[in-house]
Amino acid sequence: MTDSEKLSKLKELLLSEDRNFAVKILQKLETLESTINKEDLLSEKVNPIIDKKISIFTEQIPEKLGPTITKALKVQIRDSQDQVVEALFPIIGKMVKKYIQQEIKLLSDTINNQVQDTFSFKKWQRKLKSIFTGVSEEKIILSEMIKPSIEQLFIIEKGSGILLSNVSRNVEKIDKDMIAGMLTAIKSFVEDAFTKEEQSLELIQYEFYNIYIQNLSSYYVAAVISGSFNTEFKNIVENKILDFASKHKKEELIEDSNITNKLKTLLFND
Amino acid sequence: MISSKKIVLVGHFGVGKSSIIRRFVEDVFSDDYKVTIGVHIYKKEVEVSNTKLTFVIWDLEGKEDVEHIRKSYLLGTSGFMYVIDPTRTSTYTNIKSEINYLTTNFPNAEILTIANKSDLIDESTFSNIVDFKIDYFTSAKKNENVDAIFNQLGLNFLQNI
Repeated sequence: MTDSEKLSKLKELLLSEDRNFAVKILQKLETLESTINKEDLLSEKVNPIIDKKISIFTEQIPEKLGPTITKALKVQIRDSQDQVVEALFPIIGKMVKKYIQQEIKLLSDTINNQVQDTFSFKKWQRKLKSIFTGVSEEKIILSEMIKPSIEQLFIIEKGSGILLSNVSRNVEKIDKDMIAGMLTAIKSFVEDAFTKEEQSLELIQYEFYNIYIQNLSSYYVAAVISGSFNTEFKNIVENKILDFASKHKKEELIEDSNITNKLKTLLFND
Repeated sequence: MISSKKIVLVGHFGVGKSSIIRRFVEDVFSDDYKVTIGVHIYKKEVEVSNTKLTFVIWDLEGKEDVEHIRKSYLLGTSGFMYVIDPTRTSTYTNIKSEINYLTTNFPNAEILTIANKSDLIDESTFSNIVDFKIDYFTSAKKNENVDAIFNQLGLNFLQNI
């Protein structure tokens, strides 16, 4: 065996283990490199981790980012109101339009059902009314649907605004004494500021309600009316109030404990 | 039936009419001055000498001259409180003619003269330097005599029933 052969043999004996180890590392490096460079392989490993992180982050958004988002939105809305309005206007407009369309459809269905109700006595009554008055049947139905009614009635002492009596169709939680006082203050202001001589405030419109005011000698009556308030109904209310006033003086309103029942019978038995 | 009475507080701007009412009705006081515009109405149910009374209290905006208040706001009043600020002379220079106007036009109403902000002055010194009678010294801030003035009006009402 020559010297070089001996050296080679010695190298083999000494370094074979390290070489094998180096080869294994190289193989692992190649696998790792291919995993990193090939998207499919990488995503297979990384995606579950990212998914988990995202899921945790999503859960924490309201808590962690909520206040920041709200603050940023407030600033944005404040600083660029026109842009916000421009952006929201079409969306809100569409929503309102859709809602109105839906409501009109419901109204139209109700009217159709009533018109088609052939066997109803009311239908023939309505038809006759339509023929004689010249008003279409649909319009008559519509007016029947938004029929006015008295929801609440206040009898208030003139001047002082002290509530003498009060009746309500439903149970109300409002402070009636305060309402009576404020109505009197509004009435006093309007009558003082805008009218001359013996004119008086007759009607206040408040959202879906009309507050009809009837003046009498020592007290006035304020009737809260829902539905479509028209001249015909005004006459009915006026007559009921005048009829009541002719029978009851102010003193009776304070003393008669049965007065609210009398008012209820007069107003709500329809 | 509980008897209801209309009480109206009159006087110049900033004398503390609203503060007196808020102390009486809501038991609160604020140093921030908020001017009353038009009229504000409050209500409180009280018991005076075992009789229940409902006070509907009209807090009117301050006017330098009581004759300039809309007369319709004063109609039907059972009790007036004429409120002055003893630290501002202008709020009581015409008090005699003002009270005279109220007694002439509303002969059936009870009237109390109130000097509010008593925490800022010496009551006896003030009484000695003015030539009109102060019924009560009150401090809405310190909650002094506020209940007493309403109770006094209640007693006066009961005497007249």
